Amino acid sequence: MNDGDGHGSPPLRLDGITKQYDGGGGTVTALDDVDFTVERGEVTAIMGPSGSGKSTMLNMLGLLDDPTTGSVELLGERVAALSARERTDVRRKRVGFVFQDFHLIPTLSAVENVRLPTRFLDADYTDRAVDLLGRVGLADRLRHTPDELSGGQKQRVAIARSLINEPDVLLADEPTGNLDRDTGEAVLGEIQTIADAGVGVVAVTHDSLVGEYADRTVELVDGVLDG
Amino acid sequence: MADERASDQSVESSLATRLARRFPAGSLAVRNLSRQRLRAGLAMLGIVIGVFAVITLGMLGTALQTAALAELGGLGNQVIISPDDGEENLGPREVQAIRQAAAGGGTVIPLNSGGASVSGPNGQSFAQLYGTTQPAALFGVDNVPDTLRQGVAVGDELAAGLGARVGSAVEIEGNRYRVLAIIDSEGTFSPIRPGSAVVLPPDEFVADDYAQVVVQADSADDARAIADGVRERLNTRQERVSVLSLTSVLSRITEFFALLNGFLLAVAGISLVVAGVSIFNVMLMTVSERRGEIGVLRAVGVHRDEVLRTLLVESTLLGVVGGALGAILGTAVVVGVALGTRLPLSAVLVPTNGLVVLGAFGFGMLIALGGGLYPAYRAAWEPPVESLRG
Repeated sequence: MNDGDGHGSPPLRLDGITKQYDGGGGTVTALDDVDFTVERGEVTAIMGPSGSGKSTMLNMLGLLDDPTTGSVELLGERVAALSARERTDVRRKRVGFVFQDFHLIPTLSAVENVRLPTRFLDADYTDRAVDLLGRVGLADRLRHTPDELSGGQKQRVAIARSLINEPDVLLADEPTGNLDRDTGEAVLGEIQTIADAGVGVVAVTHDSLVGEYADRTVELVDGVLDG
Repeated sequence: MADERASDQSVESSLATRLARRFPAGSLAVRNLSRQRLRAGLAMLGIVIGVFAVITLGMLGTALQTAALAELGGLGNQVIISPDDGEENLGPREVQAIRQAAAGGGTVIPLNSGGASVSGPNGQSFAQLYGTTQPAALFGVDNVPDTLRQGVAVGDELAAGLGARVGSAVEIEGNRYRVLAIIDSEGTFSPIRPGSAVVLPPDEFVADDYAQVVVQADSADDARAIADGVRERLNTRQERVSVLSLTSVLSRITEFFALLNGFLLAVAGISLVVAGVSIFNVMLMTVSERRGEIGVLRAVGVHRDEVLRTLLVESTLLGVVGGALGAILGTAVVVGVALGTRLPLSAVLVPTNGLVVLGAFGFGMLIALGGGLYPAYRAAWEPPVESLRG
C-alpha cells in the first residue's frame, strides 16, 4: 500500500528496548532488551501469557510509550527526538490501532467511528470510511451505532477505523479476544488481506488461532522475546 | 453499492454532516452532552439560574434607578430662587444677576405667582396661579405651548375638578381665558407643583416683580454652579435671596442606587460562580468516565489541543445555552414586572439593561468555559497509555 515509503527501511523497529516500571515491590522489568522488526506484508503474532509485557511492547510500537533504554525507529529514524505533537501526527498518518475491547465511541455511527482519526482534518474521509466498511462486510450497517452491532461487527468497524489513514503498520491487541471462533476467523481473514496489501501487521494475543494465521510467531515471556 | 449508500446518506443529512465536518469539535461536543442529558441539563440549570438572577436583579435595579431619577431628575436640575425673608419680590436687577449666573448652563424662568378662585364648566376651585412666558421650559411637558397668548394652561388635577379640557373656557377674577393646554403633572417632581395650578401669561399679573425665579439647568453640575453663582452675585453683602437646589440630595440618591445595584449584582454573580463549580464537577466526572475514549482519540492521532477544544466546547455550550435561556427568562420576568406594576416599561428598556443582559450572558459563558478548563486540560494532557488503561 505504501511500498515507496521509507526507502525500503522497515516501517518499525525496536532496538534493544528495555522498559522498567517502579512498582510497589521495587523495579519491574516489563521488557528486557527486546529487538523486533515489523516487516511489510507480514502478520506477526506476539504470543505470551498475561503480564508477559505484550501490551507494553505494542505501546512501544505504537509510539504511545517511551522505553527506559533502547530505541524505536520509524522508517529508519529514531522517534525519541519527536515532540508529542509529531508523534501524534505519526500515529495519525502511519499507524493503525485495533484495541482489545474495540473502543468505539458509543455516540458515533459506524461511518463516523471509522473516520474518527481524520475528524479534525480538512479533507473528508467519509467516502473512504464507507468503502472500508463495505470491504469488511458492513455496507448495510453504516449508520448503526456500536450498541446496535454484535461483537464481531464492532471489531470489524474497529479494523476499518485502523485502515482509514492507509497505515504502514497495523497494531492489534487481542483482535480475537472477545469473539467466538467463527467470527475470530473472519476477522483474522480480514487482517490477512490487509497484510497482503503491504501493511505490516502485529497482533499480540494468547489465542493460538491467531498464530495459525500469522506468518511469524514470537513468544514473549517475562519481557524476554523468544523466536 | 457502497457508493450509492454513501450518496444516499450524504443527501439525507447533508446539513448535519456539513456542520459536523465544519465544526468537528462542536459536533462531537453536542453528541457527548446528549449522552448524559440529565447531568448536562442540571449543570446548565445552574447557569440558567445564575444568569436569570443577574439579569432580573440587574435590570430591575437599573429600571428602579431610571424611574426614580426620571421623577426626581427635574428636582436635581432645578434651582429655585425666591426672596429672602423680609424682602418683597425679585426685581429686574436680581433677574439680571440670575441670568448672568445661568448663562450657558440653563434656562431662566421668572415666575409671577398668586392665588385666585378659578371656575370652569363643572365647578369652582381655589388655585395657585403662575405667570411665565416659557411654560414649556418649566413644565417640561410637550402639550404646553411655548408662549401663552390670551390663554392659560391648567394643571391636570385642577382641570379634572373643573371639568376643563383643551378648548374650554375658565374664568379667573372675572376674566375669561381659553384653556390652551392641560399640564400633565405625572412624572414631574418639583417644588413647583403644576397639577393644581393655572399658568397664565405674565401680563395678566399686576406686579412687575417676580415671586420667584426658576432656573432649569442643563445638568446637575450646571445646577450646582448656577446656585453658587447666584449666591455669589446676590448674597455676598447680605442675604437677599434664598437659593434652593437639591442637586446634592440627588447625587446621594444616585450613589445609593449604584451601591444597591452593585450589591445585588454581586449576590447574583455568586450564584453564577456556584454554577461554574457545578460545571467543573460535571466535566471532571465526564472526562473520568470517558478516559478510555479520550485515550483512543489520542492514540489514533487526535492532537491534545483538538481534544482540549472538544471538551471546552462541551462546557462552553452549557454556558451558551444556559445563558441564553436565563437571559430570555430574566428579560421576560422583568418586562412582566414592569407591565404588572407602576414601573414604566421605558425605564426597563434602557441601553444599560442591554449591557446587563449581554454582560450576564457573557459572564455565564466565561464561567462555563472556566469550569471546563482544568478537567479538559487534565484529560487532554494525560498520556494515552494511561487513559487507555483506565
